[in-house]
Amino acid sequence: MLYNVLRVIRCFYQSQHACSVLTIAHSLRQSGIFSTMREVNIKGASGLCTLVSDGQSEIPQSVSDSENMGKSFFSVQSTPEIEKKYVHHVYDAIAPHFSSTRFAKWPKVATFLSSLPSGSLVLDAGCGNGKYLGLNPDCFFIGCDISAPLIKICADRGHEVLVADAINLPYRTDFGDAAISIAVLHHLSTEIRRKRAIEELVRVVKKGGLVLITVWAVEQEDRSLLAKWTPLSEKYVEEWIGPGSPLARSPSSLPLESIPENEDNGSRDHIEDSMEKMHETPHLTSESKYDSLSLKHEKNTKNQQEYFVPWHLPYHRAEVSGASACALANGLAKKDDKKGAVVYNRYYHVFSEGELERLASGIDNAVIVDQFYDKSNWCIILEKIL
Amino acid sequence: MRLLTHNMLSSNIKGVANGFPLGIEVEKVIEKQVELSADFLRNLFPKIEWKALVDAARTMGYAELPEEVDSSMLDSNEFLTKFHHALLELHLEEGALVCPETGRRFPVTKGIPNMLLHEDEV
Repeated sequence: MLYNVLRVIRCFYQSQHACSVLTIAHSLRQSGIFSTMREVNIKGASGLCTLVSDGQSEIPQSVSDSENMGKSFFSVQSTPEIEKKYVHHVYDAIAPHFSSTRFAKWPKVATFLSSLPSGSLVLDAGCGNGKYLGLNPDCFFIGCDISAPLIKICADRGHEVLVADAINLPYRTDFGDAAISIAVLHHLSTEIRRKRAIEELVRVVKKGGLVLITVWAVEQEDRSLLAKWTPLSEKYVEEWIGPGSPLARSPSSLPLESIPENEDNGSRDHIEDSMEKMHETPHLTSESKYDSLSLKHEKNTKNQQEYFVPWHLPYHRAEVSGASACALANGLAKKDDKKGAVVYNRYYHVFSEGELERLASGIDNAVIVDQFYDKSNWCIILEKIL
Repeated sequence: MRLLTHNMLSSNIKGVANGFPLGIEVEKVIEKQVELSADFLRNLFPKIEWKALVDAARTMGYAELPEEVDSSMLDSNEFLTKFHHALLELHLEEGALVCPETGRRFPVTKGIPNMLLHEDEV
């Protein structure tokens, strides 16, 4: 505990961001233990943007209360900081732009949906911009996503949707005929949460109901894309989600340390678009300029599964959103004037071969009926048996 | 939010034993016609908690649903039309859903329920 606190203090002094300085000092003051810190001057701390989407500021619990924190804070259903900052807030900020790039219907998902009996009720958990809602006109879809801006886009298109958390679906058990989770679970930062999300999908469908899950694979078809991702060391991911971590308990905006990557010397234009599309459309072969870089990257990152994947939000889109000003002030996003874009990072835990199968096998009331690799995604179809 | 969705939704707040059905606070209801699919209605029928649907429809201003039902009524076009109307054509645009045990309100805005829990509710 003390070691973690000392590390926080060290980061406090090294931090470049006025906002994060205020936040750390605030959390330390709350603790009651660090009376010597109270004299520290805080400059430029007015107008700190709170990052909590419901408008309430998070008051970190004091260190002395750590035994009384209760199971609930560290419960599987409590959203870790890394997901709040590098998944939820990012998608909220980029929603319209993101949605405009999500149009291609992945054939495997389309096949699954088209094969469902007429009149089926399909639940899409993590539906994003609603790309798959209504894909089979003989089925009725209910979608949910944790991002209200994305759900708004779905609703504007006439879909039946709600804002909810895939870890804790507000649905009665056994109600749906089928469920889908397309490119969602790789945004969950712990194995327990990923497993819990699968359990929820199985819970909400009827006995005999099918569940389709797809996630990004470690084993990317286009290896050069990996060079664009920022690998995260386990140690730092733990700091952002582990119990007892002061970072997990305070709305700190300290930049997450990462393994330094090689200088990339290529154009980043439309990298995310082509990467996203690659996951979702027939694979387009492209000349890789980055063979030597990506090979070295592979060597360094064997077993590497935690990444930040950038999203470039063009300036003209960022102004419309408004959330970007806040993100920039908090150090969550950076400006890239050369590209004229605000660069966000999205947290991913990419899945290795067999990982999805292993997680699903641990679920008592479902069996695996199909599993496959397709276009850099691991996919699985489960059937609920009890 | 349609009543089909309402019939599926349940309060998942920590400690709640039975979060279904959610109460409905109505501020604005709209009606939107959609094509009737008998297949779909027959598939849905066994899933529906009928009393919750009847009560919810009444709250939304529609009192035509029979109190008691059995599956033979699915052969009746008149019944299917009423079932269809209540399930799919009534939309709660503005209002709230209310946890039956805690009274916690989940807002419904522009037809979208927000079922996200606060930190202390998970």
